[in-house]
Amino acid sequence: MNQLVAPAKSLDKSKTPGALFSTLSIPIAILVLVVIGSVASPSFLTVNNLTNVLNANSAVGLIALGMTFVMVSGGLADLSVPANVAMGALVTLGAQESMGTGLAALMGLLVASMGGVVNGILIGYLRINPIIATLGTGSVLLGLSQLLVGGGIVYAQPSALSTFVKSSILGIPVFIWIFIFVALILHPLLARTSFGRWSLAVGGNYQAAQASAVPVRFTKAAAFAMTGFLAGLCGVLLALSNGQARPIIGTGYEFVAITAVVIGGTSVFGGNGSVLRTVGGVLITALIGNLIILLGFPSQATGLITGAIVLGAVGIDAYFRRKAGRL
Amino acid sequence: MKNFDFALLGTRAVQYRLVIMLVAVAVFGGLSLDDFLTVNTLQSVLDRATVVGFLALGLTPVLIAGQIDLSIGSMMSMAGITTIFMQPVIGNVPAAAAGVAVGILIGAVNALMVVVFKINSLVATLATLLIFASLALLLTNSYPLSSEDPIFGLPLTADFLWILTPRSAIFLTAAVLMFVWLKLTPTGRNLYAVGSDAPAATSSGINANGYIATSFILSGFFAGLAGMMQSLSTAAGSPVAGAVMLIPAITAVVIGGTRLEGGRGSSLATLGGVLALGALTTALEYNGVPSYTQAIYTGLLLILLISLDRIVSGHGGASSRAQRSVRVAPRNTPLPRRNA
Amino acid sequence: MTTESTPAVALRMTGITKSFPGVMALQDVDLEINEGEVHAIVGENGAGKSTLMKILAGFYQPDKGEIEVGGRKATHWTPREARSRGIGMIYQELNLVPDLSVAENISLGAMPKRGPFVDYRAMNAKAAAVLDELDTDIDPGTRLGDLSISQQQLVEIAKVVARQPNIVVFDEPTSSLGDKETRVLFDVITKMRDRGIAIIYISHRLQEVMEIGDRVTVLRDGRHIETRDVAGITPDEMVSLMVGRDLNEMFPKFDLELGEQVLSVVGASRAGQFDNVTLDVRKHEIVGLAGLVGSGRTEVARALFGLDPLEEGTITLAGKTVKIRSPRQGVAAGVALVPEDRKGQGIIPGLSVRENFTLPVITRITNALLIFLGKERKIVTELADRLKVNPPQVERPLNVFSGGNQQKVVLGKWLLSEPKLLILDEPTRGVDVGAKADIHHIIGEFAQDGGGVLMISSELPELLAVCDRIFVLHEGVISAEISRADATEESVMRAATGQEVAA
Repeated sequence: MNQLVAPAKSLDKSKTPGALFSTLSIPIAILVLVVIGSVASPSFLTVNNLTNVLNANSAVGLIALGMTFVMVSGGLADLSVPANVAMGALVTLGAQESMGTGLAALMGLLVASMGGVVNGILIGYLRINPIIATLGTGSVLLGLSQLLVGGGIVYAQPSALSTFVKSSILGIPVFIWIFIFVALILHPLLARTSFGRWSLAVGGNYQAAQASAVPVRFTKAAAFAMTGFLAGLCGVLLALSNGQARPIIGTGYEFVAITAVVIGGTSVFGGNGSVLRTVGGVLITALIGNLIILLGFPSQATGLITGAIVLGAVGIDAYFRRKAGRL
Repeated sequence: MKNFDFALLGTRAVQYRLVIMLVAVAVFGGLSLDDFLTVNTLQSVLDRATVVGFLALGLTPVLIAGQIDLSIGSMMSMAGITTIFMQPVIGNVPAAAAGVAVGILIGAVNALMVVVFKINSLVATLATLLIFASLALLLTNSYPLSSEDPIFGLPLTADFLWILTPRSAIFLTAAVLMFVWLKLTPTGRNLYAVGSDAPAATSSGINANGYIATSFILSGFFAGLAGMMQSLSTAAGSPVAGAVMLIPAITAVVIGGTRLEGGRGSSLATLGGVLALGALTTALEYNGVPSYTQAIYTGLLLILLISLDRIVSGHGGASSRAQRSVRVAPRNTPLPRRNA
Repeated sequence: MTTESTPAVALRMTGITKSFPGVMALQDVDLEINEGEVHAIVGENGAGKSTLMKILAGFYQPDKGEIEVGGRKATHWTPREARSRGIGMIYQELNLVPDLSVAENISLGAMPKRGPFVDYRAMNAKAAAVLDELDTDIDPGTRLGDLSISQQQLVEIAKVVARQPNIVVFDEPTSSLGDKETRVLFDVITKMRDRGIAIIYISHRLQEVMEIGDRVTVLRDGRHIETRDVAGITPDEMVSLMVGRDLNEMFPKFDLELGEQVLSVVGASRAGQFDNVTLDVRKHEIVGLAGLVGSGRTEVARALFGLDPLEEGTITLAGKTVKIRSPRQGVAAGVALVPEDRKGQGIIPGLSVRENFTLPVITRITNALLIFLGKERKIVTELADRLKVNPPQVERPLNVFSGGNQQKVVLGKWLLSEPKLLILDEPTRGVDVGAKADIHHIIGEFAQDGGGVLMISSELPELLAVCDRIFVLHEGVISAEISRADATEESVMRAATGQEVAA
């Protein structure tokens, strides 16, 4: 028997067209976009342009990183993101005068994280459908944030922190550094830690994970708490760098983040996914947005093109998966 | 045992939530406003609830079939701008029909994505939400279109019959017809079967894909109807008219008691949810509560009801949950199908 | 034997060949089923039984071969066509819709109509008639999801019977039934047979085949091996035909000196499930927990592991009294549970064998931050080798493995947690003969190494062969404790059905 058990580990996993598609699709897509971009416009492949693109997408990218954990753990999606972004931004600017920028920013983070924790309790512990729960909390939090500022705009006061947020280190804007930093923490968190393994297990089969002594409720709740925190961080950073904030500051961010995660290839049903792939997804969505502008399309076309790409990517993935499943 | 009465109370509260809500709104409105409990108010509540109502009604079969449609708002916007844009081109009535047809067409696109390309409905309709919201902005260059014949749509919201306006009458009729279809005809029952356990339904010879596709097309039809009526009665086709409608529509359906996991729900329950939500909104508005504060109340209500439902149905302890998990097991483990 | 008139052939499948990419699933298989016979089909998992049945049901098209039903050749063989030609399938997994009523389920796909509406009166009457025929008192108006699993199984049968089929396939129908329900099922099958219906009966339980079958066909590796009269074959012969070799020791039993107490449960209760259960397991000992489905066996197991904690009673593990209120506490206390519902609660299908193996103990191979991937791989490869996981590719997702191998992985993941007490709930259900022997071997080794085992099984011969002692549950109460020497199928069954309450 034992002689037959030769290590045949690597034989099968990478050879199917589906697996090949899913490993190579992201780098290829990025490459294709870069090629199209450099052909289409001389200003595309410049440090300046690319830095701007990344800078503009780091905010929503942060949320996509959190949303990856939500989807992987079978939490479908967090639709309360815009509310938590608004909370983070408005609390920061609203409290700036009374408690100073640093503390105000912390307050903003705290309040948004609280929103995430509430989501986590409702979804992880009370086991309410995530779509409903986050629609509800989103509605409440957005209302509260508007109540807070009476529905209008809040302006920032100049501060050292906002100067820092707007600055660059080694020629790369702080915004991008923060995104890279968070991604570098979250990638091993999902791929290499017990918590990451738990997330994959909870998303893969909730009951079996529970019966394997995985802290299922905590794991699911933590994903939402994390996303709340990151949405808050996004809000704080946006408010400080823009110098103003309105309640609609994060509108649509939930969809962009979901799009990035899905383009990255994480299953909406949970059980698989990776932060690195989400980073790829964020890059792809960012480049598409940039190309649309450089190619002279109206900016309203962004949704149309991203939507079409989501359908294409997920459709092809589903096709390969079905084909592989038939073996 | 000592929790028994509390549990019963909770169960009843969930069961009769619509009645409780309507009564509470009536009492609150009646106390806080002099002219709240009038036929006029009732007419207004009904009429204003119609647009969200159509969307919610269209969403009901989709949810019963175990799917979700996030694109209803975008479909509504597209239908609205089509209606207004086509008015001078092909005449008022054909333009209205064209608006509804656009809804049906986008519904068919959703159906195609879900049924043929096997894309999860959450993702597929998220994508079409983005695509058609974006298209609506592109087509109109982000400005609302105004109608060349603003008079044509006015009768829709005029007095019709006692508390009804023509469009609320259509809405009520549609809800009742859908109820009859869902509860009393074989195809209606089959829809529940598909949502409750699609593989089992398929093995009984039910064309599950056909039912799922139909539910998306119906959703498109009702979103088209909502967009057409909204644009005609306001004499404007706004590219963002539908964007804010998704959350109230889902809230109404869920308050009514239709389950997101499929297999349960009814159009009359949705009707109840729409009315309760509409009454609450109107009462708050009459009291001068700003719309963002209303959103707080709606959101809280949604969370409260759904948590209560969860807690009450989870009552009786983990024991029933364990038994249920055994019972539910075959649902999670579909029969050996082609890909086994 | 006698020269009766030859019975009419209900179904003839000739030269059926079916291959999937890389696998020859069926090769030139012939099968002939007569009207009014119960024809058993046996074979290991992967022998081709289910592929053959899926071809019969129209889900697969054969590459070659012909199907003849009632003397007529079958063309355009689709599930719909198969159904309309009178073929009914009863799978071990239920094909029912939890949110509809029993009557609606029975008529699903063909509800009686009056005008455009469902004729509820006719539908309920039809359901009542069929349920009555099956000797059950299930109310046709009940929501299906509110029934117990074994009642649902009967509804499943009623659904097929209601279509008045001439050929009925039972695929592992008794796996979720208790003895009483199995008796009812056999009565139903006999009645159907006597009415001239051809029955195909697929089961791993050879005793059942001996009891209910008229003829038996053995498949192995996608080929037809033999068709014999059941009267002229013994279970041992069947087994050797199935595996192609003699399997002289199906249940190996190590004789070991029993050690000190591993588990002692006193007065354990959960309202509505079990009451005042007292039992113990010693080191090196395999203790059986017998009882009918619904007797509280699974509930006791879940409670000891912490899935549904005890309401009253004490648990003592290796001399220490412990509180187990969650699976985490269960694992910490040294308890492991291999659950009954493998697909639902045992495996994470999308994760690899490696990730499944280490799930409960992942925190133990982690430093302050990260998992030691190298160490994990080493542990897992060794374990897969020891448990003979086949194919030995630990990076493949678990859902591509056979049921028996999945079960080995579930067992293995709990062995890794190094429990003092291993609880097994139906560890070999739906597992083929070869894997079953492997699993028994693993369990035996665990006991040999000093663990205690509490094992639940509906298969009495298995319990009798493996266990040192058997506790019997009847309606949530321990009705007997039987030593290995005194344990017979009769003694256990009497206690399980409440006919004998021993001290």
